[in-house]
Amino acid sequence: MPQASENSGALYDARLAKLREAMKEFGIRAIVLEPGPAMVYLTGVRWGRSERTFAVVIPEKGNLAFVLPGFEEMRARELIRDAAEVRIWQEDESPFQQITDVLKERGISAGRVAIDPSARFFVFDGIKKLAPKLDYVSAQPVLKSADVK
Amino acid sequence: MLDRSTNSLNRRVFLAAAAGLTGAIAAAQPTNIPESIRALQPMTGGVQPITREERAARVEKARRLMRENRMDAVLMEAGSSMFYFTGSRADGALVMALKGDPVPLAPEWKTDEEKYRSIARALKDRGAGTGRVGIEERVQFDVVDGIGKELAALEFVSATPVTAGCRVIKSRAELALMQRANDITIAAYRAAFGTLREGMTQHELSANIAAAYQALGVRGDAMAIFGKYTAFPHGSIQPQKLREGDLVLVDDGCSVEGYQSDITRTIVFGKPTARQREIWNLERRAQDAALAAAKPGATCESVDAAARKVITDYGFGPGYKVPGLPHRTGHGIGLDGHEWTYLVRGNKTRIEPGMCFSDEPTIAIYGEFGVRLEDCMYITEEGARMFTKQSPEIEQPFG
Repeated sequence: MPQASENSGALYDARLAKLREAMKEFGIRAIVLEPGPAMVYLTGVRWGRSERTFAVVIPEKGNLAFVLPGFEEMRARELIRDAAEVRIWQEDESPFQQITDVLKERGISAGRVAIDPSARFFVFDGIKKLAPKLDYVSAQPVLKSADVK
Repeated sequence: MLDRSTNSLNRRVFLAAAAGLTGAIAAAQPTNIPESIRALQPMTGGVQPITREERAARVEKARRLMRENRMDAVLMEAGSSMFYFTGSRADGALVMALKGDPVPLAPEWKTDEEKYRSIARALKDRGAGTGRVGIEERVQFDVVDGIGKELAALEFVSATPVTAGCRVIKSRAELALMQRANDITIAAYRAAFGTLREGMTQHELSANIAAAYQALGVRGDAMAIFGKYTAFPHGSIQPQKLREGDLVLVDDGCSVEGYQSDITRTIVFGKPTARQREIWNLERRAQDAALAAAKPGATCESVDAAARKVITDYGFGPGYKVPGLPHRTGHGIGLDGHEWTYLVRGNKTRIEPGMCFSDEPTIAIYGEFGVRLEDCMYITEEGARMFTKQSPEIEQPFG
């Protein structure tokens, strides 16, 4: 697996650029991914899934934002490239608030948001409850179109 | 306190994968496993699996909770909740409706669309083609999205009030299985602590614990952390070699008939310094405070507050600030290593007899070290009881 380093930076930039082209084509304004192969392919970040939500928001424009548990920040920063934003939630806070805040701050208050096809229901449900007006679709076609493994 | 597994990525698999990341696979192919570990004998004799009758009673309770929460059916995929109700871990899905037997769906579909149609048909057959369907929390987005396309009138809600509503209270049979898992973990740690030696890597210690579990007749893994990296609750990918005076932290557990243990011990390799001893003793007092607070009727958040108070009174924190306790005090445990409900600020759920929790108020001092003592407790009418004897002092990991 390529580690997050200067050398691999260009690789992830290229993959992301290709994904954003596909997002434009599919009319998708942001993608939310849980840890898994797509996150590894697009960001190099390998993380285990647990009840504590760890997600990356890929907006149509601007920096990626990782949303992750506060006490994992140090361990996560070992893996995340400097260019990405890191937003933490504490144990008694909502990760979904952070995710929907990112969308809002990137100007995404309407339109299509694509969800990781393998995202667990509680993650989708948590986001949808806080941002019920967005149009949630599967990210499967757009990921496939951009050759995300 | 290792994170709970998911249907797509088991936490034990994850640990092996994370270790593999640095090139040293912890559990897969242990080499040079000490004789003392190979000599361990299975501890699984006389284990009583959950009976068919108990599983049937669980389904009835789930139906009562479905009615109370206005759900016409609940959908699950392979995983702990499905195992809880059916005793099967086979791939596929389960539709549990208010009436009729639960419908297990074997994965006979050739495409995703066939799968969604098959689930939709089962929902319709059970009279839940237009109502509110509870979705087990780990069912994947595409499945829900696909069923929604088949049955546009369906409303999807979280099934957690039903699944957690059942699973959070443990029966005597469940407690007995958890007790066994806890006893085995203590035996594995006891043997593995005998193998500590200068220059050992964290992966070697993990491998010894995994080998100990194998010899004891179960599947289990452990995270091992040395030195300053003990301050990170889930360790670090940085390579670590054990040196005199290092703290050694091991965490995780094993599984017996699906029921999990989760135990952490922190010791010093060599003679503890005054500072290490002081922080260790503080940690033990925090753990004791949570145990004393976990009485029936108390809120979950009050247990977290009790442990946290010991740590903030010492001058650490406040809140999640380090040096201090950077996470919640504990989690529920059962078929998943982490499950509802959580000992965390904001959780006003009242503690009831039959609930099980970890008690693990880590003290993290970045750049220096961390100490975590974790034992799991079960709630009785009289108060909380530990499955295991707490570590009595820094030189004695086992009571």
